[in-house]
Parts: sequence; structure tokens; C-alpha cells
Amino acid sequence: MLVFAISDKGGTGRSVTSTNIAFRRALQGDDVCYLDFDFGSPTVGAIFGVRSAERGTERGGMHSYLQEKTEDPYRVDIWTDSDRSALRSRPPGAGQLILLPGDSSGGEFPASPRAVDRCVRLFSRLREEFDLCMVDLSAGRSYAADMVLAATARAELSDVPFRWLVFHRWTRQHIIAAAGLVFERRGLLDVGAAHGHDKTALAERIRFVRTAVVEANAPERSALRSTQLAWLDECDRDLHELARRHGVGRTAMLGKVPLDPVLQWREQILVDEDVYASQIANESTIRAFDHIATKIFDARAWEGL
Amino acid sequence: MLIMGEVQTGLLRNLGELGEPKCREVLGLVSGEEPRTSMRPLPYAISPEQFTGVDCRLPGVSGARIRGTGTVAQHAVIVGGRVLQASAYATVVAGAADHRLPWSHYLARPGDIEVHGRPRWADMAEGFMAAEMPMDALNLSAIGGRLMAAVQESPHLDGKTPFKSTRTHLRWVLWRGEAGAPPLLLTLGKGSLRTLRLTGEPATDVTAFCEDLALHDWLLTTIQAIIQRALIGTAAPSQIAARLAPAIDHLMHLWMPGARVPDSYQHLWKELERRPGFSRQWASSVTRIRDQIAVNTLSLLSAAVMTESGHEPDGDISPHRGASQDDP
Ligand SMILES: Nc1ncnc2c1ncn2[C@@H]1O[C@H](COP(=O)(O)OP(=O)(O)O)[C@@H](O)[C@H]1O
Ligand SMILES: [Mg+2]
Repeated sequence: MLVFAISDKGGTGRSVTSTNIAFRRALQGDDVCYLDFDFGSPTVGAIFGVRSAERGTERGGMHSYLQEKTEDPYRVDIWTDSDRSALRSRPPGAGQLILLPGDSSGGEFPASPRAVDRCVRLFSRLREEFDLCMVDLSAGRSYAADMVLAATARAELSDVPFRWLVFHRWTRQHIIAAAGLVFERRGLLDVGAAHGHDKTALAERIRFVRTAVVEANAPERSALRSTQLAWLDECDRDLHELARRHGVGRTAMLGKVPLDPVLQWREQILVDEDVYASQIANESTIRAFDHIATKIFDARAWEGL
Repeated sequence: MLIMGEVQTGLLRNLGELGEPKCREVLGLVSGEEPRTSMRPLPYAISPEQFTGVDCRLPGVSGARIRGTGTVAQHAVIVGGRVLQASAYATVVAGAADHRLPWSHYLARPGDIEVHGRPRWADMAEGFMAAEMPMDALNLSAIGGRLMAAVQESPHLDGKTPFKSTRTHLRWVLWRGEAGAPPLLLTLGKGSLRTLRLTGEPATDVTAFCEDLALHDWLLTTIQAIIQRALIGTAAPSQIAARLAPAIDHLMHLWMPGARVPDSYQHLWKELERRPGFSRQWASSVTRIRDQIAVNTLSLLSAAVMTESGHEPDGDISPHRGASQDDP
């Protein structure tokens, strides 16, 4: 299974959320590979606590592989190479967790036919080894998105299931932007169709994930006055209505992740220890990641809208 | 003189076991020549040698910039219609000159790389065993990787595998060695890398031994990964049995150490059997799997008896990692 993580804007929580989902899936027993295709800023290494690949690698990462400069892209085994001790022991029954970082000196590059070929080869190769490949794409309409849309339309990958997760914050602007990224002119559906995807089928493989959401029953709200609460509830209703009108409503949503105090401070993987031992992160955040990690593979969550 | 090589081993991208005629077609297509095949003791196919020209820095721990020019030999192997290996190797020899000669010179010596200047064998051998080589050094992994990809992308294969597994890389070197060096030293490196130091007179028929060792190391690695993931002692017996099934269906019958190794290298297998005890480890994994299957059979039987006597058997959670992996 290939899962593409995208967002219209930077700073939505795409990388933090998708890495945490990948981590939960590995804990659930799947062999997981996380690919950093955010070519403009390959920083996923930092989230996994891998100092040597904090801003990508110099040893031939994703950029080098896709541009035919290396045959074996550099791999980081999170269970052994993370500098965060809480990540450095593989729990019993957990699957592999491998990061393929970008190049530290790489930038955006066009999705040439050669690059698409390489991308097809990479995905086919990873399929031998992994149950889930999570691909973190650059924000917005990017070469990276263009390349993977072209690759997944190719015959060689026709029987590899794939899904798209569109991450957005729960605000007016983000809702409208996320919808635009998918449905508007030159959006994912348009570009996908140009590469030979069936638009309806492609739409069924796209779901939205809301990040850093303040829930109605969140503890933060207890400090508010009743007038403020009423106002917030009204805003929330407006947002739901707006989301529905833009095709980003409840049915198109795969899950939502609550605002988390730890993630607000730092981009990191939440381990159970953060919740139960040091009690700094919220259990509901981990549960949300777990829930999405399960739903990605739940056929019922991906039936026609 | 020394020989250095790398063997990559992985599961062939095809759901079913590949029959002999198909193996011929697949390997024939990548090399353009007829592969050799044999049926006993296991179906085996090997492509004819191909050569890749190289002109690059040679590995070394000292950091000295030593260059070499010549060709790397490579061939692909399919064992049991199931396991694919790409083997790339070169014989490094002292050069006829300290600069690059016309290509015709190197083409007359296929599989040799000539060193420009004075070779430092020990330095080169150790450099080749290092986990991270300089990016511009001779990269047998890339040459093997391309061959592996060419086979895996064959239109004669259906592109799917019956279970997920990791490729292993066995990097090896054979030379006369320093005085007192053991005949063989196998080390499990980072991730899927293994290194093998062999001491003896360099001869290219050693590749058959290295490939056989790489195959068995891969089998052991893969079966142990399957066992580790089956959560024996935690999961339900039926679930454990389903997770162990690929080992029984696809791997167990492939264990035949030394079957294709020339007599002159059989003593090396004996050494490996003594320490780390390859077949001992394999036997203990196989026993573990058989025991679990027996437990599952027993629990199925007792469930059947319970049902007959009017009790409901326990609900069976469907296995998370079953036969078909990708299906949504
Ligand atoms: N659930 C959350 N609660 C609070 N902060 C979050 C949450 N998810 C992400 N963040 C924070 O939002 C910021 C942007 O996240 P990041 O994943 O880097 O965004 P992107 O990849 O979309 O650019 C980071 O500081 C991150 O820690
Ligand atoms: Mg990011």
C-alpha cells in the first residue's frame, strides 16, 4: 500500500501527523517505510530524532535516486539509528520502520519522464519489502505530486493500492485551500486525470485529515466564559457547514487529530511513554494516530462517497 | 591480487514458484544469452557472465585516493524458482601502468580491475568491508542492484510476492591476507549488510560459495523475521499459524547448504556449521514453527470437539498478515 501525504500549505502538521501514523502502523506489526518527497525541505529525519539526517542526507537520498545519481538510496532504520532512546528499541511484534530521507543539498526538480520511471522502480522495489509506504510530499501543487500521480497511473503499479491523505487545519482558510488543492483547476484530480487516472476512482482514494483540532470537550475550554464558548460553538458549526459545501465534510474525512501540547512545542513522534510515564502528551492524540493508521487499511472507510 | 564481490539476495517478484522454462526466459532476457539450468537438488538457473566497465576510486580505510580501471563481472541466479540473487565481483590486480590505458587493454581481461599505482591490498580489503564507503568509490552494490531490478521488472513475472521480505547484501573479499588470518570471518553488519573475509589464493569459482552462503543467510534472516513477527505466546494460535505459513510454503525446502559449492570450498561450509552453526540455527527455527503449527492443529481439534458437544469455539480474529498482502 502506498499512502501519499499532502497539504495545500506548509505548517499544517502534515509531516508530524503522517510520521506518527507510520509509527503507529509499525507498532501494529506492519513493515513500514517512510519516504521524504518534500523536495524543498526534507526535514523528516528531525521528527524521527535522527540527527545525521535532520535536514536530509549527504549520502544519496531520494533526490539522488530519482535523478539517477545513486542506485541504493540511503536508508535509516529508526529502531536502531534514531538518537531518541525511546524509539531505539523495537517492541515485540513491531514491524520494520525505515526512513528514506531526501538529500540535504537537494531542491525541487521537475517530474521528467526519467524521474517518473525511477519513481515506478522505487515503489515496485519497496513493495517487496513493506506493507505500507508513506510518502511525504511537498506542500501544494508540486513536482513531487505530479510525479507520483504519473507513477501510480502506470501499468507496472496498476495493482498496487494507493491512497491520498490531505492534511489541513480546522480553519476557514485551510478548509478552502485543502478543497482547492483537490477539486479546483490544476488540482490533484485534474493532474491525475491528465496522467490517465479515472477521476471518479481517484477521488475515492482521497480523504482529508484535520490536524491540531480543538475539540468541544477539550480541557483548554474550561477556562472560557460561557459567551466565549457559545461563540466558539457557532464558529465550529460554520466551519462544518463550510467544509461540507467544499467537499471536505465528515464523509470525506478519514480522521482528526486533536491539538496536542507536546506537538505544539516540538515536531516529534509521540511514544506511549510521553503519555503514560511523563504524562506530557495527551492519550487522545495517540489514539487519533492509531485510529487513522487502522482506517487507512479499512476498506469501509474508502467506499464511494 | 584480491577478489571483491557483493551478492544481493531477495524474493523473486512472482506469486508462484517459477518453472525452469520461465527461469530461462527471464534470465535470457537480461543477458541476451542462454542461461544454464539444473534441476537437482533444487531447480537452479544462472545467467551467463556480463561485464560493466568501471573507472573509479577504489575503496580503502586509509583515505588514500587510489584509482582503478577495468570491468566488473555480474550474473543473476534463481534458486528454487523463488529466490533471486545478483552477484557482482571483480579481480583487482596490480596495473600494467600508473595511468589509464586504451579500453581495448581492459576488454581483453574481462572481470579484472587494474590498479593505477602501487596497490595496498589490506587497506583495500578493509575499505571494501566498511559500512559506508566514499560516494565515488567502486560500487558493486549499484551494479548488482541494476541487475536485480532488470530481472524483477521482467514481463514474465507477475510483479507480486507471496510475502514481504528484506533483501540482504553479502559483501566479500578473498585474498592471501595477513599472516595468521582465519580462513573465513563472517560478520553481521548494520541492517541487511553482511561482510565476509576469506583468506586464500584468489580464484573466481569462490563466487559459487559466496552465493550459497548468501542464500542460506537470507533464508535464516527471513525465517527469523517471520517468527519474530508471529508473536508466539501472545497472539491466538490460528493467527500465529497464518503468520508462519509463508515459511512452510515457500522457504523450508530451500535449505541445502553446500549443495552447489565446489569441493575446494566445502571446508568453509564446515567451518560455518561449527560456528555460528548455520544449520543448528535453521533447525531450531524450523522446530519452533512446526511446534506452533502442531499447537494450532490441536486447538482446532479441541474446538471441533467442543462444538460437537454443544460449546461454541472461540471467535477467530482474521490474521493481520495473511497470504494476500496488498489487497485493500
Ligand atoms: N496535533 C497537533 N497539535 C499541535 N501542534 C501540532 C499538531 N500537529 C502538528 N503540530 C505542529 O505544527 C507545526 C507544523 O507541523 P509540520 O508537520 O512540520 O507541518 P508540515 O509538514 O505540514 O509543514 C509543527 O510545529 C508541529 O509540531
Ligand atoms: Mg513537513
